[in-house]
Amino acid sequence: MTTDEATKNEGEVQAAALAERGEDITPAQDRGVLKIIKRPGNEDESPMIGDKVYVHYKGKLANGKKFDSSRDRNEPFIFSLGKGQVIKAWDIGVATMKKGEICYLLCKPEYAYGSAGSAPKIPSNATLFFEVELLDFKGEDLFEDGGIIRRIKRKGEGYSNPNEGATVEIHLEGFCGGTRFDCKDVKFVVGEGEDHDIPIGIDKALEKMQRGEHCILYLGPRYGFGEAGKPKYGIQANAELVYEVTLKSFEKAKESWEMDTKEKLEQAAIVKEKGTMYFKEGKYLQAVIQYGKIVSWLEMEYGLSEKESKASDSFLLAAFLNLAMCYLKLREYTKAVECCDKALGLDQDNEKGLYRRGEARLLMNEFELAKCDFQKVLEVNPQNKAAKSQISVCQKKTKEHNERDRRIYANMFKKFAERDAKEAASKIGIEKEAEKAACEKGLKTPESEGRESEGHV
Amino acid sequence: MPEEQSQTIMAIDELQAIIQRCQILEEADFRGEDFNLFQVAGQKCLEDGYAAQLLEVVQNEKNKLCNAKELFLGLLEQIEQTSGEQVCQTVMLLLQPLQTVLFKLQNKKAYSVGLSLAMIMNQLTPLPVPYTKQQMQEDKLGLCQCCNAVVDFAKPFVNEVVKSMEKSSECSDMELKEELLKFCMKSLKYPLLTAQLEQLESIEDHPFRRFATEIIGILWDMREFIPLVFLHHKGRSPSWENEEFEDIERKNSADSLACLAYLMFVHCFGIDCFPMVFSPSYLLQRNMTHIEVLLKRTEESVLSKGLDLFESSLLRMEDNSLLHQYLEFSDFITVPQNLVKVMTLCPIEHLRKKSLNILQLFINKFDAEGKYTLFRCLLKTSNHAGVEGYIIQNIKDQIHLSLTKVCDNSWFTGHHLISLLDLVLLLPEGAETDLLQNSDRIMASLNLLRYLIIKDSEYNNQTGVWTMLAKIEQNFLKPLHVGLNMSKAHYEAEIKNKKENRREAHNSNTVCSVTVSGEKMPVMTTEMQLQVLHSALFTFDLIESVLARVEELIEVKIKAVT
Repeated sequence: MTTDEATKNEGEVQAAALAERGEDITPAQDRGVLKIIKRPGNEDESPMIGDKVYVHYKGKLANGKKFDSSRDRNEPFIFSLGKGQVIKAWDIGVATMKKGEICYLLCKPEYAYGSAGSAPKIPSNATLFFEVELLDFKGEDLFEDGGIIRRIKRKGEGYSNPNEGATVEIHLEGFCGGTRFDCKDVKFVVGEGEDHDIPIGIDKALEKMQRGEHCILYLGPRYGFGEAGKPKYGIQANAELVYEVTLKSFEKAKESWEMDTKEKLEQAAIVKEKGTMYFKEGKYLQAVIQYGKIVSWLEMEYGLSEKESKASDSFLLAAFLNLAMCYLKLREYTKAVECCDKALGLDQDNEKGLYRRGEARLLMNEFELAKCDFQKVLEVNPQNKAAKSQISVCQKKTKEHNERDRRIYANMFKKFAERDAKEAASKIGIEKEAEKAACEKGLKTPESEGRESEGHV
Repeated sequence: MPEEQSQTIMAIDELQAIIQRCQILEEADFRGEDFNLFQVAGQKCLEDGYAAQLLEVVQNEKNKLCNAKELFLGLLEQIEQTSGEQVCQTVMLLLQPLQTVLFKLQNKKAYSVGLSLAMIMNQLTPLPVPYTKQQMQEDKLGLCQCCNAVVDFAKPFVNEVVKSMEKSSECSDMELKEELLKFCMKSLKYPLLTAQLEQLESIEDHPFRRFATEIIGILWDMREFIPLVFLHHKGRSPSWENEEFEDIERKNSADSLACLAYLMFVHCFGIDCFPMVFSPSYLLQRNMTHIEVLLKRTEESVLSKGLDLFESSLLRMEDNSLLHQYLEFSDFITVPQNLVKVMTLCPIEHLRKKSLNILQLFINKFDAEGKYTLFRCLLKTSNHAGVEGYIIQNIKDQIHLSLTKVCDNSWFTGHHLISLLDLVLLLPEGAETDLLQNSDRIMASLNLLRYLIIKDSEYNNQTGVWTMLAKIEQNFLKPLHVGLNMSKAHYEAEIKNKKENRREAHNSNTVCSVTVSGEKMPVMTTEMQLQVLHSALFTFDLIESVLARVEELIEVKIKAVT
């Protein structure tokens, strides 16, 4: 029997077993996905929707030919469960597994790659066979930065999520260090949770929740109350918080392309004020959201009348300048520079734009560019004292940096010279030893001969 | 002795003289100036084309002349100072000694390797990338050869990284790995992003396909291939701690990552190493960011890659399988808008045609609500009558499918449809709408209306058209009549004017001139102008005839009811 035939036989046996005894785990009970447990798991819990799941697997076609294996890559395969990232058979199948379990899945094409197949390895209308081992699973890291982890207790319905600006009705309970500090039902606009003493992390998380969803959110300090803490609730600075949230209902805000220019300009005025309010309170992340709306509504707006154009440009200019300020406070300097560039695109001699860009560049150690900006500020407004002093700061820093560089390179070459001298010295030392030994034996080494003659010149 | 030969001898002599002087000096006395002289002489040799001789000299002398670091800097400077036609030649000649020197470096080896690769790539980047089959075979500047030589040069260092990764789970040579990673990212951007990568029959060893394979091979060996494919350039990369660097890297890496996605999904480079369990919708979602990056460009080589990547991702999906929720991702809205821009503005015809096909493909993949939302969005944002006309035809097709019960479709009947028809069955600027400019759209709307009236019986009224009739007449049919009358009168008057003026003196009162591609267009003769005016009248007649037919049908059906 050839290897191919053996594989085919093994494949057929497994497929046959599944077809006979396999459990139909599809919600529609149409035998689209059949499962047999090869080795049961060692814990009772199954992963939840949205959880980050770690598996090893092997995939074969109906003819027994292997088309994929995570073990060949020496790395477990990681994905988010129940989100449509993987073929339907997997979202259904893995959700039934327990940690440590190994199972077989037989998947009809409707739950795999269907009539399109998947070039180059999977033909059209292919039934697939998988062996899957569930290694581990953990809560979903919503923004891939460890800032917000979510575990869904009860899945919501439908698929849409509240967008920024949507009105949401939620039930919320907040815990810090195991003690509950807040419990309420509240209706508010996403992005403005701050008005109800709700940390920005909740606003951000809501944009990923579904109607009716009940979940637990673990917030890092950046997404909590941050450095200010929340004295009202007795929360210290940079505390980690846990919230239990139920999204009861929501109404989406209009998408940008659904609003006409008149509406956008009206809303822009409202939103600008809101942004300024947050800024004054030091709530920079919230302010960014508000000003950002102006940009997303108006930046690509076409077909404006002259009057509308003026109004739009004025809003955009204010938005970019204010965003730059926020980013400076948030220490996101590249973004600050980007916003200043855009502001200056609208008004090239804008004093604030030039000044803030100079500040950002200075903090990014781009001293020359920063100096240019401040100099331009003085061209526009010779009375600007702050710009003058910034220029001397730039010059001072440039000098400091050059000094530092000089010192580093001087050291570097000094070290090289020292090391090479040492090597040379030790080489001579070895030769001298050899010479001595040779002398003692009454022989002359060639080097010693040469050196003696040189010495006499 | 001919002058050239004597010059060779002079240059080499000069070089050797300097070298002899340097040899006598002890290392401590070896000063920067001496090294400069060495460099200048070496440079002159290279400039005069005597690179081979220089190489010999360098190779012979390198062990005695100075320590590795000095030589390294010298070689780099040679590379930095070449330009134009000599770049590839010089680089290829110096790669071998450079590699040897790098092996000898103890301190700062990773940094030096990175610096070398960066310097070389910097020098190559201004060179044009051969694109046609002929250009690649000729390889006039030697770029094809050089790129492959550079990647071979890098291989031993890759092997070092791989070995150190095998020894401990955490790579001890992180710095070298990062430098090599930077090199790969740079290569993806140049030359690969602008290279022609199709399999060409007459070229056996396609130089850029080989180069691409090697680069992907390096990424795979360093275990960076899959992480890169998944790296979302808008998301956070865990390898950078400094946020500022991350932002800059991210911007620079967008092109490279897009190219990588193209290589993998369109040409299947490296797809053997890629997990085969992802849903096609998810792959499309991940690729949308890359498609957006590519479609925003105007160079044919880059734009066509974007279209290919988009097409290949869509072909992996079954029709009607893409959930409408995906339209909540902003790039699912901006990418079709970019596609519309290509369709209407790109000067290259085959790309315009292709993007239209891809738009239809995109529409076909969505479920009903998705199609509905997409139609609404494009009607509102495309600002182009031809595109709007095309979308309206699509709407008609979807209504047809709903009415003939091919699919159960609440989105193209009933109140959803009414809201959509509000956008379709009107004149954007009332009676003052420019009928010529909007003729595509108006004809499509009239055809749609005609279809609805014929197909949807007034007893059934599934589409709601009969309920809307009064509004349609007010917003669409009446202003269209007015507009047609006005336009026809206006154009007829113009025609009469021109004919009268023609009898009088030919005055060349050009109000304005048109320049296309730097060439001024010839002034239109009166005959040509008349032709244009007549064809406008013809269009109005066409619109009017369909309008008349539609009103006729309405009248018939209403009479039948009452």
